[in-house]
Amino acid sequence: MSSTRDLSPSPKRHREDDDEDTSASPPRKRTATSSPSPSRSRTNSPPLATSPTALPSRPAHRPSRSESRENEDSYYHRATPPSPPKPTSLHYTPHLLLTGHKKPISSASFSPSGTLIATASADCTIKIWDAHTGALHHTLSGHLAGISTLAWSPDSTTLASGSDDKTIRLWNTSTGSAHPKPFIGHHNYIYSLAFSPKGNMLVSGSYDEAVFLWDVRSARIMRSLPAHSDPIGGVEFVRDGTLIVSCANDGLIRVWDTATGQCLRTIVHEDNAPVTSVKFSPNGKYILAWTLDSCIRLWDYVEGKGRCVKTYQGHTNKKYSLSGAFGVYGEGRKHAFVASGSEDGSVFLWDVSSKNVLQRLEAHTGAVLSVDTHPSEPLIVSAGMDKTVRVWRCSDVLVNGAENGHREHEGYDDEVELPPYPFA
Amino acid sequence: MNLALVDPFVLAQDCPEVITGHLRSGHSTSIRFSHRGHLLASGRHDGIIIIFDIETNGVARKLRGHTRQIQSLSWSTNDRYLLSAGQDWKVVLWDLQDGSRLRTVRFEAPIFIAELHPKNHHLFVAAVVEDQPVLVDTSNETPVKHPLSSAPLRTQEERDNATEKQTAQDARVATTVTVFTPSGDHIISGTSKGWLNIIDTTTRETVYSNRITNNIIVFVRLTPSGRDLVINASDRVVRTLHLPDLSDPALDFSTLQLEVEHKFQDLVQRLSWNHVSFSPTGEYVTASTWMNHHIYVWERGQGSLVKILEGTKEELSAVEWHPFRPFVAAVGVDTGRIWLWSVLQPQRWSALAPDFVEVEENHEYVEKEDEFDIQPLEEIHKRRLNQEDEEVDVLTIEPVKTTTGVDAGDIGFRMPVLLDIEASDSEDEVVAVGAGQYRRRNDKEWVNDDDVGDTATNGTGVQNGTKRRRNQYG
Repeated sequence: MSSTRDLSPSPKRHREDDDEDTSASPPRKRTATSSPSPSRSRTNSPPLATSPTALPSRPAHRPSRSESRENEDSYYHRATPPSPPKPTSLHYTPHLLLTGHKKPISSASFSPSGTLIATASADCTIKIWDAHTGALHHTLSGHLAGISTLAWSPDSTTLASGSDDKTIRLWNTSTGSAHPKPFIGHHNYIYSLAFSPKGNMLVSGSYDEAVFLWDVRSARIMRSLPAHSDPIGGVEFVRDGTLIVSCANDGLIRVWDTATGQCLRTIVHEDNAPVTSVKFSPNGKYILAWTLDSCIRLWDYVEGKGRCVKTYQGHTNKKYSLSGAFGVYGEGRKHAFVASGSEDGSVFLWDVSSKNVLQRLEAHTGAVLSVDTHPSEPLIVSAGMDKTVRVWRCSDVLVNGAENGHREHEGYDDEVELPPYPFA
Repeated sequence: MNLALVDPFVLAQDCPEVITGHLRSGHSTSIRFSHRGHLLASGRHDGIIIIFDIETNGVARKLRGHTRQIQSLSWSTNDRYLLSAGQDWKVVLWDLQDGSRLRTVRFEAPIFIAELHPKNHHLFVAAVVEDQPVLVDTSNETPVKHPLSSAPLRTQEERDNATEKQTAQDARVATTVTVFTPSGDHIISGTSKGWLNIIDTTTRETVYSNRITNNIIVFVRLTPSGRDLVINASDRVVRTLHLPDLSDPALDFSTLQLEVEHKFQDLVQRLSWNHVSFSPTGEYVTASTWMNHHIYVWERGQGSLVKILEGTKEELSAVEWHPFRPFVAAVGVDTGRIWLWSVLQPQRWSALAPDFVEVEENHEYVEKEDEFDIQPLEEIHKRRLNQEDEEVDVLTIEPVKTTTGVDAGDIGFRMPVLLDIEASDSEDEVVAVGAGQYRRRNDKEWVNDDDVGDTATNGTGVQNGTKRRRNQYG
């Protein structure tokens, strides 16, 4: 992996120091002082890594074992009426392979309208693809450094991108042109962006430890949240826009009131592992947080001081800022799953309640940095270090009812074989 | 979604306390909140209408069409359409989807007020100076005006015995204000002789009249429920009335008796009131004062004065209450700024430190049975993971109901976000700085960076020293 050295001096999710370097050097501060390009990866021996608690202590093949046991549990204890049984596995299959980025891809996401996919890469460009055919619509260039994050406006007409050139840019997704006024204000790399549900505000989290709330119309900073004492990992708006969540390498997740800018809640796990990404659940009642101890935790942030209700494990996440999404499956689309990439190149889908792994997609040859689910169809997009974007489609008849299959091979580039899965 | 986390003491505050900022774009003369409270329409002295986004305090849209000062504004229930009446004798219906003028209706006289029908945005009622009020149907390109009566309803007996003088007087009565009831079935109008008339919208006949005062009724406003009415009259008294359910078919208007519930006045200073409005629930009545810098807030339970909002150095004209928050906006007469009063929320420090709890008094700490037991970490982890066995529902969305009945979570009509609004803002705009003195509007000025507004709005911003940074980029 030492080849990643020559990545652009920027994209958050792609940087990692040489492994030897890490082992040789004494524990250093977590900031970027040691390398010309601060890395989001925490190979610089984060202080917590020295504590054994930071590493989840679990048997090697725990997921499969717990799966079977919890299935028994649910069988005996859940006296639910005989509604259609909840599927115990999902069958997403390769649908599209999108190639073109010259460097690792930090972010891939479906537009809220579901018609487009945007991907941001360390090669300083954003590509907009058709979500169903995989045709490349636009390549947006203008950023001077790698791009770490993307955010779609709720009406899908505008795309915001945050880059290591410290600016946020807005793009018109139908014409591919850049908004003339970049959002300038951050003093360091921008890691995370989110639009408010009305599209009038943008929240940004940066390596400079600040969370800014922007007035999208005037491209001005409306408010600065005195958020964290370490680089910000992720930010997001809740469903109705009244709350903002932010997380940082200091291991804290903070919930803010959008209107007043006040911190309403701070959530911390006792291991204090750096939090790299946060997502509100679709109904806004829970927060899903990715931490660098190879765990994804689901928090009930309302109750008490915040309570961890679920821990999803099985993937590897020690260096990179991975991100994922919630998805739905089953009859009536009423069950939820959590999708996330893994540093071993696969994509994991967990059932939200049972924590079982529903499917493990052997997806990429490098770490899968970004996974997103389609807003209305059983599609998943994943992208990562291997510079490719893959779209997965669930062709399970039980899961999707009538709507399936007819596009199964259409648009899928048969000539490009999936690379052999190296971890099998 | 933030309600569960906000300090209940802050939520319990339903009356604004202090100035928290101001909005500025040109010289505002009249304002109105949208029904969902996201937007504030401001009619300007030069006839331009500005739609402010209350969340960002920025300009969301500019509507050009009037050539004179805007007299009144009215939102459709879905917040997509806006009706404006100007001193150029025009009433314009705007579609905020694209900012286009849907209809323009010309009148032969200045208009006091124009109000949209709550259920049909192609119907509005307007009170016209020295003319009869009109109900205007704009569903076709050419508007149809139906005149309404200004004269009070007289019984047959009264009519038979009416003297010539009285008939002449009745004919001279002019309607000064008209509003729809929330159902839209009735129009409530106030006249220059102090009569309050209730007009049936479908038959366009006056069904009820009551003389509230001998002076001119200047303004009438209903609560969202339609059961309470506040009247501002030129006799320096603000009256509130309780209305029956007007859409009740069993209601007999001939036996209806309307009693004045409260009379609010300042007996000492003999203040007259510029504009009155209700709080969302009708619990409070606010009034801006003539030749004075204060906004009086009365509470209707006891009928007592509970607060005087102050802090501006100018007289205030239109005063409006946010549809569900303790948030009042008022227009300054001299500068044309829109001043905002709200509640300040102190930062709860315990929210920042998850290990701490705020307590009223000391608590004896009781150690848990196994608190200091030494257990292998793996054991703890495993146990904790096994405890995570509850069913979690991350999908079901619970509707949020507010007191006013409008679903606050329902975004409803979503106005497109215009990214180039600033560009249109940079054109020539002059600000009156004194008698006959004008200067160009300073670009920075309309953001909240003024002396008064700043300390309050930026609450958190000031604390962490970002105020300077913001101005730098602002």
